[in-house]
Amino acid sequence: MNRPERLLDRLPEWTRSIRFRYTLLYSAVLFGLAAVVLAAIYLVLLMALQATPVSAGRRTFCPYGECITLITFREAERLINTQTLNKLRFYFIGGLGTLFVASLGVGWVIAGRVLAPIGRITSVARDIQATDLSRRIELPGPEDELKQLADTFDAMLARLDAAFAAQRQFVADASHELRNPLAIIRTNVDVALADPDASPDDLRQTITVVKRAGDRMSLLVDDLLALARRQQPTLEHEPVDLGAAVAEASEDFVVPAAARRIVLDRAIAEGVVVTGDREALKRVVANLLDNAVRLAPEGSRIRLATGSERGRAWIAVADEGPGIAPEDQAHVFDRFWRADKARSRADGGAGLGLAIVRQLVESHGGEVRLHSKVGVGSSFVVWLPIARPAVEPAKR
Amino acid sequence: MRVLVVEDEADLADAVARGLRREGYAVDVAYDGDEALEKAAVNAYDLVCLDLNLPGIDGIEVVRRIRADGEGQPPRVLMLTARDRTVDRVVGLDEGADDYLVKPFDFDELKARVRALLRRDAGRSGALLQVGDIELDTARHEARRAGRHLALTPKEFALLHYFMSRAGQVLSQEDLLEHVWDENADPFTNTVRVTVMTLRRKLADAGAGQPVETVVGRGYRLREEP
Repeated sequence: MNRPERLLDRLPEWTRSIRFRYTLLYSAVLFGLAAVVLAAIYLVLLMALQATPVSAGRRTFCPYGECITLITFREAERLINTQTLNKLRFYFIGGLGTLFVASLGVGWVIAGRVLAPIGRITSVARDIQATDLSRRIELPGPEDELKQLADTFDAMLARLDAAFAAQRQFVADASHELRNPLAIIRTNVDVALADPDASPDDLRQTITVVKRAGDRMSLLVDDLLALARRQQPTLEHEPVDLGAAVAEASEDFVVPAAARRIVLDRAIAEGVVVTGDREALKRVVANLLDNAVRLAPEGSRIRLATGSERGRAWIAVADEGPGIAPEDQAHVFDRFWRADKARSRADGGAGLGLAIVRQLVESHGGEVRLHSKVGVGSSFVVWLPIARPAVEPAKR
Repeated sequence: MRVLVVEDEADLADAVARGLRREGYAVDVAYDGDEALEKAAVNAYDLVCLDLNLPGIDGIEVVRRIRADGEGQPPRVLMLTARDRTVDRVVGLDEGADDYLVKPFDFDELKARVRALLRRDAGRSGALLQVGDIELDTARHEARRAGRHLALTPKEFALLHYFMSRAGQVLSQEDLLEHVWDENADPFTNTVRVTVMTLRRKLADAGAGQPVETVVGRGYRLREEP
């Protein structure tokens, strides 16, 4: 920053404004054009009138003591021409000078008028920056370039506002979800510590409860991190064998499913290749299966299938109940939403699984759909853009 | 003093109940709003510790209904909430809650707030309760008569506490059972009589005269003046 002070920096502030430069440019152009036009007229006249100075063939005639200068008629004409041209030059230069001054004034006023909305936009934007994002510029006037600029700002502010609001909501939700297990840990520890004659069994019970709450918190933190990470573009972008990834993700659920006597049917097409992040896609499948295995009735059947159709790859997870009520279907992908708060909490779900699914799928340019009927079952279908279709469907 | 803990997190509800029981309160637990309203309709609670976020009927609604259809004196309500936005607490307090605690809380603070709320009934401002020559320190859990320490069991302490907070009033066996014992007490045993008896013996051993008198056919009364 130790640059020598430049000439521009030493000028007063108003000379650095666009208005000033605009005015200078305007009057320079006007002055230049006028000067060229006037100079051209002058030169043309000069050449046409041949106004050479009258002095060469001048004679003096003194018949009666008084002398008079004799010139020819031609010479007289040239003399008048010269005088006219001189006068013309004088007026031209004067006119140009006046024009220059006038154009500076007019340019200053016009530039001011044109730039006034920008000043308004700037001052409102500065205000918004200092206060809150809920304000808008709302520039009045016709649909011109500056109005478009202001409207673009407004749209950007609306998006920022929404993004910040969503972020705040997310943080509030997350802290709310973390408070409950924290309260469990603190209260149980406080109560156990306050009891001088707690038996080893009591303490063991307390430790079990604390561990359970701790597990819940670490699950929740994992999920929150997964969501937060998704907000940065760190996803891989590489060809993924969808069948292999899905099969791999489903392996983890064979044992938990069997523990609840749930049959996990897998119909995985081979050779479907999508572009994206392998771990993220595995997480999508894992979250869907996790919900199904936790919530489906014991002894039921869960079907996991993949394939490709009309240029898109799909993954489907279908269970046999309990199903989701129509009014709740719009909310299942919301963060921290639960169909039955008491039951799902006890089951260890944080309410983030499906939000993560939707976010990951959408970041792959796909979409996730839910078809559900209470008492019959739910099926989640994930559609993804395809890189290479299935060779042939294979049953596993 | 009888307390109802309403909390859908079973691990938290049970710990709060355990901690409060050790303080000598008779504690019942409800795990959702419906259960809370059922219990509040049947039993006369002195205080309800209420989580605002409940499945089924919301905590705010529970406060409203407890306040609305309570016969006699409605219980004090202490809200436990994981929501830290001011607006939630304002709504809760406006609907009739007496105090609130934001989760996670220090259990000592919970105990102190419970004591403070229960004191309001007796119109006192400190943790120290005094009737005649009997002194009760509810914070330290110490009882004295004429300066001499009384070795009381938690139940006896709770019974004395209840007597002292309603000094001069005649309290029936049912009243005592309702406010000093929890829902697990068998109303057909003579547990109330036995506990009153042991308490009276310990009081008599420490000083002159018997402050807890029997009102025949109606119950017991703690004399305000010796």
